[in-house]
Amino acid sequence: MVALLLALQLRTITIDQRLAADAHVRVGDTVVVSATPGAGGDSVVLAAIIGRRADPSEIARSDYRVHLHLDQLQRLVGYGDRVDRFAIATHGTPAADSAVRMINDAAFGFRAYRSRDIAVETSATFAVVSRFHRAIGVITIVASAVFLLCILLLKVDERRRDVAALRLLGISRRSVMLTVVLEAAFVSVIGSGVGVVMGWVTSLAVNWHYQARYQTPLRFALVTSDIVIFAVTLSLVLGIVAGALAARRLVRTHPLVLLGR
Amino acid sequence: MSALVRARDVRRDYPLEREAVHALRGVSLEVEKGEYLAIVGPSGCGKSSLLNLLGAIDAPTSGTIEIEGRNVGTLGDREVTDFRLRHIGFVFQRFYLLPILSARENVELPMAEAGVSAAERRERSTELLRYVDLADRVKHRPAQLSGGEQQRVAIARALANRPSLLLADEPTGELDAKTGQEIISLFGRLHADGTTVVVVTHDENLARAARRVVHMRDGVIVQDEVPGG
Repeated sequence: MVALLLALQLRTITIDQRLAADAHVRVGDTVVVSATPGAGGDSVVLAAIIGRRADPSEIARSDYRVHLHLDQLQRLVGYGDRVDRFAIATHGTPAADSAVRMINDAAFGFRAYRSRDIAVETSATFAVVSRFHRAIGVITIVASAVFLLCILLLKVDERRRDVAALRLLGISRRSVMLTVVLEAAFVSVIGSGVGVVMGWVTSLAVNWHYQARYQTPLRFALVTSDIVIFAVTLSLVLGIVAGALAARRLVRTHPLVLLGR
Repeated sequence: MSALVRARDVRRDYPLEREAVHALRGVSLEVEKGEYLAIVGPSGCGKSSLLNLLGAIDAPTSGTIEIEGRNVGTLGDREVTDFRLRHIGFVFQRFYLLPILSARENVELPMAEAGVSAAERRERSTELLRYVDLADRVKHRPAQLSGGEQQRVAIARALANRPSLLLADEPTGELDAKTGQEIISLFGRLHADGTTVVVVTHDENLARAARRVVHMRDGVIVQDEVPGG
């Protein structure tokens, strides 16, 4: 009962998951907070543990987050009745725009920003990194596309005996072309499907690993519908082009030459 | 009997860098309907070149080849391809079955190209595979069949569009003696049933089974005999 009364008088704080894990504390625990390590401070009750947001800017931050009541924080740090920044919650974009305009017009020394603008500014680095990754991705895709094209050409070329036999049996050039192209397209679609599934499984593994490592819900690897459509389309186009090129070359060669005679 | 195939003074030269190779030097040959003919001779004597000409696969440098009264040497690529499809059946030494298709599908392939309906294709492929004793192998792929079975599928495929002429190039060349004998028996049965068969072979047993044997050497026919005749 005494403990309960004591707890009722204590202020509350929240901390982030990483600090809770490192300090081995749980919700309801009483801890002491102070401005400097070892100095006397306030006993407070841990009211909540906060998970990290899916924010790339938080990934590399090694500091802990502790939320205190403002007056207690001011008293502990001896900073007085001053703040560096504060946030104003509004209802909807027009209200936010209006608030920004009013503050910037009225308050000298203050500068108000929309949270969206701050997010854009602070994530500029990540946008550059993202573009860099996209460039690497495009180079990889182009290089692998050329490689796949060559492989497909070689694989179709391996069918020269089949094509020769078909031609000798009286199968028309058109039918042979159509067969080879359809087969190449089918193999390409199946291949891209397998690739998409592999990519999706890999993204799950990558996310699982890095989310655990950085204790963040941020998704590091994404397989979006756009990516799937792009992969299947590219593969299909490559398959058809490679199939058509190789088949064209094969049907234009005399079947006896294809058979090596 | 009437002549199904007429080759008149056929020459076939293959131009090389320095000099032309004269594979055939004026060959004349007639094959009657329902005949069973074997072309034999040493390697390089021109027997395969002659078979290719008789099958409208190749065109002669000079001379004419008539099959069913049509000069096949004058046909364009599309026409000659269609002619092969409907009038000539081929059996190759290495079978050349499509590995991704079943035995039935391989047999049905030329029929599909010829525009035969699906129902008729199925009926005819069943009949042909039964004829070559492979009724229980219709769904098997070539890799699941023995060499002899593959060759029998190839023979069924060659007969798919009921050709007037069946040509075979070393059909027992890839087979062991016992399996080869089965194929020889099958050719005998085909001949007995009225099919015109021309085989090129080194296999003495196969040549002996034919009703007529043409011997070639250096691009010319040196002997044309009817064994026991």
